[in-house]
Amino acid sequence: MSAPPPPTLLDPSIFASLEAKLEEETQIRDAISQLVQRLDRSVATAQGLLSRVHSTPRARYPQLVAQVESAVKDEAAIITELDKVASQHPYYKYNHKWTRSVQHAIGTAIYCAWLGGFPPKAPKSEDASAEAPSSSTSKEAEIGRLLTLEEVGAIFSVPTNLKSRDAFHLTIEEYLLSLADLTSDLSRLATNAVTLGDFQLPLTISAFVKDLFAGFQLLNLKNDIIRKRADGVKYEVKRVEDVVYDLSLRGLIKRPEAAAEADTEMEAAE
Amino acid sequence: MAGGTKRDYDGNARKKTPQQQQQPRGRFHAMFENIRDELDEHYDRRERVIKASRDVTAQSKKMVKELNKDFPDDIQQDVDTRLKEIAKLLSPIVADVQSINRYRYGYSLRCLEELVEALSFAHYLRHQKVITLEETQAATPADILLTPHDYMFGLFDLFGELMRFATVTTAQSGKLVGDHERNILSDIQELGCSFEMLPQMPTKDFKGKMEVMRQSINKVEKLGYGLVVRGSERPKGWVPDMKDDVPRPASPV
Repeated sequence: MSAPPPPTLLDPSIFASLEAKLEEETQIRDAISQLVQRLDRSVATAQGLLSRVHSTPRARYPQLVAQVESAVKDEAAIITELDKVASQHPYYKYNHKWTRSVQHAIGTAIYCAWLGGFPPKAPKSEDASAEAPSSSTSKEAEIGRLLTLEEVGAIFSVPTNLKSRDAFHLTIEEYLLSLADLTSDLSRLATNAVTLGDFQLPLTISAFVKDLFAGFQLLNLKNDIIRKRADGVKYEVKRVEDVVYDLSLRGLIKRPEAAAEADTEMEAAE
Repeated sequence: MAGGTKRDYDGNARKKTPQQQQQPRGRFHAMFENIRDELDEHYDRRERVIKASRDVTAQSKKMVKELNKDFPDDIQQDVDTRLKEIAKLLSPIVADVQSINRYRYGYSLRCLEELVEALSFAHYLRHQKVITLEETQAATPADILLTPHDYMFGLFDLFGELMRFATVTTAQSGKLVGDHERNILSDIQELGCSFEMLPQMPTKDFKGKMEVMRQSINKVEKLGYGLVVRGSERPKGWVPDMKDDVPRPASPV
């Protein structure tokens, strides 16, 4: 401390630049918030349309799916705008602002495809194993197809799971959480399909939800939100199983080999 | 899931019937394995960052403690030893926090705020100036980007150190450290005013730091007041008792 102190404590540029940064951040946040609000409205529209599935007989799915597809395209347009704004800044600095909305948007696209929307494109040959059993009647859209994260990314025209480039993308976490959302709505659909006299759909749902659950079981999850939601999937599995049980108990569904075997498995497990 | 072979009652392997349910199951399996690998990678990376961050925080705190204790001897030497340690701790995670992952693990890498605090305190003791972001970045012993957020929140923590330093030196010397033009009180007030004039962020973190900052300034102001009012009556080594009117313990010893 022997040297005389310099006349000033602060380099004026320090707080000038901090102030500029903070103001810039506020503007970015506002811009993102506005986009997220629009996305939320658009997602709500798609979700509203999707909720009609619970009172729609399967024969009328195609009309409903067409409407949802167009609603998802509206979402995609907003996500494109969000991509443009967000990609100019560090992704993880602002992603908390949109992650929930984007997760719900992903959910609508996945649900729509599950109901037969967004049929796989011809040039991109689908997995050989992806053929669903119900596609024997060629006219009927395939029900129970699961979009991969990459396919969702293609629908929204944004990249997925970016690791080395800092730009907007869809994350694995958002995808997994939207799958958990999907299982809970499918378990509701299983009940409502029965009410509408569709006794086959609960079987499709049951197989699908069980497979998803088996998939979640493969993950080494930490004690976080994904863990919490993945744990919840087993209750949805049970709800759908109960519906299938009710139907088989009363002989309302045919007992093909597979179903019969599944039943003996259940008995053996108890 | 491709479980075990099913057997009939006599133990003979049952022929696999083309089951509807097994087809999609296989498809999801591959996808989820993929996802599992991605998530494992992410969790491992975060774990490494958190561990390094904890150790760097400890080193930074030790650096600050030694700066307080040994003042004014060997500042440079102490700082250099600690910085070498910190460089060793940070170098394995440099690759983990590049590009997109810098902000992804920003919360896990809060040790950088502690480091900024230590560096800014050392800088103040040496030069009686507030360190700039560029100087802090240059002093950071690893190729890790300091964000304005790290820098700003590190500076917030500088107030606590300045307050402790002011309290100790006042108790030892009987006056506020500094010369007739500037002293520790006017410095902390000036820095405080600069923060007060910033656009206020609506986050809990920011508001909390502002509040702690005001308390630190207030304590140093009370020191100055005490010196003027009771200066002549005060025995050497006297430390004002401020425990009653502030939530945080004020005594540095």
